[in-house]
Amino acid sequence: MSLLDYSKALADFWSAQGRALSQAQEQVGKALAEGIQAVASGKLPPLPSMPQNLSPEAEDLARALKSMVDLWSAATSACNKLLTTVPTPTGSDGVVEATLRKMLDPRSWTSAGGGLDDVLGRMAEGPRFADLWEIERRYASVLQAWMNLRRCSLEHNRVVLEAWIEAARQYSEQLASRSVASLDAKAALMLWTETANRQLLETQRSEPFLQTQAALIRATTELRLAQQELVEHFGKQYGFPTRTELDDVHRTLTELRRELRAMRRQQQQAPAASPASTEAAP
Amino acid sequence: MTATKNNPATALSDAADLGAKMLMGGQVLRGIRDADVQVATTPKDLIWQQDKVSLYRFRPLTEQRICVPMLICYGLVGRWTMTDLQDDRSLVRNLLNLGLDLYVVDWGSPSRADRYLTLDDYILGYLEDCVAEIAGRAGLPKINLLGVCEGGVFATAFAALEPERLNTLTLTITPIDFHADTVENRLGHGFINIWTRSISPEDVDRLIDANGNLPGEFMGAIFNQMTPMRSLLKYNLDLLEIADDEQRLMNWLRMEKWIADRPDHPGEAAKQWVKDLYQQNKLVRNEWTLGGRPVDLRHIRMPVLNVYAKDDHIIPPATSRALGDKLGSSDYSELALPGGHVGVFVGNRAQALFAPEVASFAARHDLAERTG
Repeated sequence: MSLLDYSKALADFWSAQGRALSQAQEQVGKALAEGIQAVASGKLPPLPSMPQNLSPEAEDLARALKSMVDLWSAATSACNKLLTTVPTPTGSDGVVEATLRKMLDPRSWTSAGGGLDDVLGRMAEGPRFADLWEIERRYASVLQAWMNLRRCSLEHNRVVLEAWIEAARQYSEQLASRSVASLDAKAALMLWTETANRQLLETQRSEPFLQTQAALIRATTELRLAQQELVEHFGKQYGFPTRTELDDVHRTLTELRRELRAMRRQQQQAPAASPASTEAAP
Repeated sequence: MTATKNNPATALSDAADLGAKMLMGGQVLRGIRDADVQVATTPKDLIWQQDKVSLYRFRPLTEQRICVPMLICYGLVGRWTMTDLQDDRSLVRNLLNLGLDLYVVDWGSPSRADRYLTLDDYILGYLEDCVAEIAGRAGLPKINLLGVCEGGVFATAFAALEPERLNTLTLTITPIDFHADTVENRLGHGFINIWTRSISPEDVDRLIDANGNLPGEFMGAIFNQMTPMRSLLKYNLDLLEIADDEQRLMNWLRMEKWIADRPDHPGEAAKQWVKDLYQQNKLVRNEWTLGGRPVDLRHIRMPVLNVYAKDDHIIPPATSRALGDKLGSSDYSELALPGGHVGVFVGNRAQALFAPEVASFAARHDLAERTG
C-alpha cells in the first residue's frame, strides 16, 4: 500500500467513523421517538415517571457528538497532511515506520490516557438497551446516566483530540524546518513521540482536561450507582441478597474483627486485668 | 532518507536482520509460560497471619550482622514484590547479603469484603501487630522499619504514634507533603497530586460507594496517564527491541507481571488516602488522626533515613524531602538515588547505592553496637 493509498484508507475510515457516529446518534433519537410514540399508542407499557430532564440530556449528547465529529474531521485532515511527510522505510525501519503511522492516528490519542476510558467503560457497563421499553422508572434513570456518561466521554475526548491536533501542527512545523532527507523513520518516530508526549502532558495539567476527566469519572460513578439501584430493586423482588445487605454484613464483620483484635491485645498486654471497653481501639 | 539507507544492499540486509530478530523473538516468546515468569523468589517463611495480612521472614543468605530486625512495609497501591523482582534486581537479596534479619508484610488481595478497612486498621492494627510479633521473636523492644511509598506513610504515622517501638525509620519514595509537587512543577511529574486535587471529596466518596474499593485497574490507568506516549510504544517497539534477547525479555515480563498484579485499595482506606492526605495534606500539617490520636511528626525521635529518587514522577522529591524540618529527631539524613520511582528497586546505579546505605544506617544504630 502506498502512502497515498494509506492516507486515503485512513481518511475513509475516519469519515466512516464520523458517519457511524452521526448515524448512531440518529438511531438513538429515532429509537427514542419511536419508543415514545409506542408508549403513547398503548402498544408498550408506559414508562412511569420518566425523568423530566431526559430530553436536555439527549440534546447535550447530540451537541457533544457533533462537536466530536467536527473535530475528528480536522484531525483527519491534519493527519493526512502529516502522513505525506513520513519518510520512506527501508529494512528494519519498516516496523518503526508502521509504529509511527499507528501513533499518528488520532484514534490512538483518544485512548492515550492509558485506557482510562476503557476502564471506566468496563466499570460502568450494565443492562443492555434491548430491555429499554419493558422496564420501569429506574431504567430511565440508568439511560439518563448512560447518556450523560457518553456526553462526558465525548467532551473529554474532544480535549484530547485538540491536543493531538496541536501536537500534529507542531510536528509539521518541525518537519518543515529541517531537511526531511536527513530524517529516517526512527528519527521521525522519536520526534513525534517527543512532541506528542510534551503536548499531552501539558494538556493533562490543563483545566479543561482535569475538569472533563473529573466529570467523566463522576458520570461513570453515577451510572454505576443507577445500575446498582436497579439491580437491587430486582434483587429485593426475587429475594436475592443485595449489595447494600452484603455491605452491611462486611461492615459488621470488619467492626467485629476490630474489636476482636483489640481484645486480643488487651489479653496479651494485661492478662490479669479486667476486660475494658474496646470501642476506641482501631 | 540518507544515501546509505537507499542502498538496496543495506536495505536487504536490514530487512534480513529484522526478519531474524522477529523469528528469534517469536521462538523465545513461544517457549515462555506464565509460570516461568517468577517474581519474589527469595526464600521466606510465613510466621504470622491475620485476616488477609501475612508476615514473612526471609531466610538468611549470609551470617546475620545486624542485631535489630528490619520490617519492609509496602503500601496498598502495588505490591511489595517490587522489592524482590528478580535475583539480580532485589533490594531484599541485597539487604540479606549485607547481614540483615529481614521481614516483609504482605497485605494480600483486598476484595469488596474489605471495603470498610481503614488506614487506622492497617497502621494501628495489622502493622502494629507485625511489629510486636517481630520484636517478640527477636526479644527486643524495638525494630527497624522500612516503608515504601504509601507504606512509607504507614511507617511514618506508626513512628509518630509509637516512637518507642522503632529503633530506626527508613522511608523510600514516600510522600509527606502532598502539595509539594508545586515546588518544582516539572512537566510530567506529580500528576496524581494534580489529579486528586481536581476531583471533589464528594466524588471520591461516590466513587468508593459505587465500586466498594478503589480498583487496582483504575489506579493503573491513572499511572499510565503519566507516561502517555511510553504506554503506546510499550507493546510494539519496546517489545520488538528486546524480543530476541531472552534475559532482557524475561526482565521485561517480570516487570509486566508486577504491574499487572495491582490489588484493589480498600474503600474506606482509599477515602482517607485521597481526601485526608492528597487533598487536605493533613500529614505534614500534623492534622491527621488515626485511632483518635493525632499523628504528630514532631514525635518521631528515632534516627530517620529518607530515600528518594531524583527523577520520581509519581512522588516528586520535594514531597518526600518535606519531612526534614518537621521531625522531632535530630538524626535525619537523606539519600538521593538516580532514576525514577521504580528505578530505585531495579536500576543498576540505584541498587549499588540503596541497600548498602540502608544496611550501613541500620548498623550505625544497631542496638548491639550501641549497648556493646
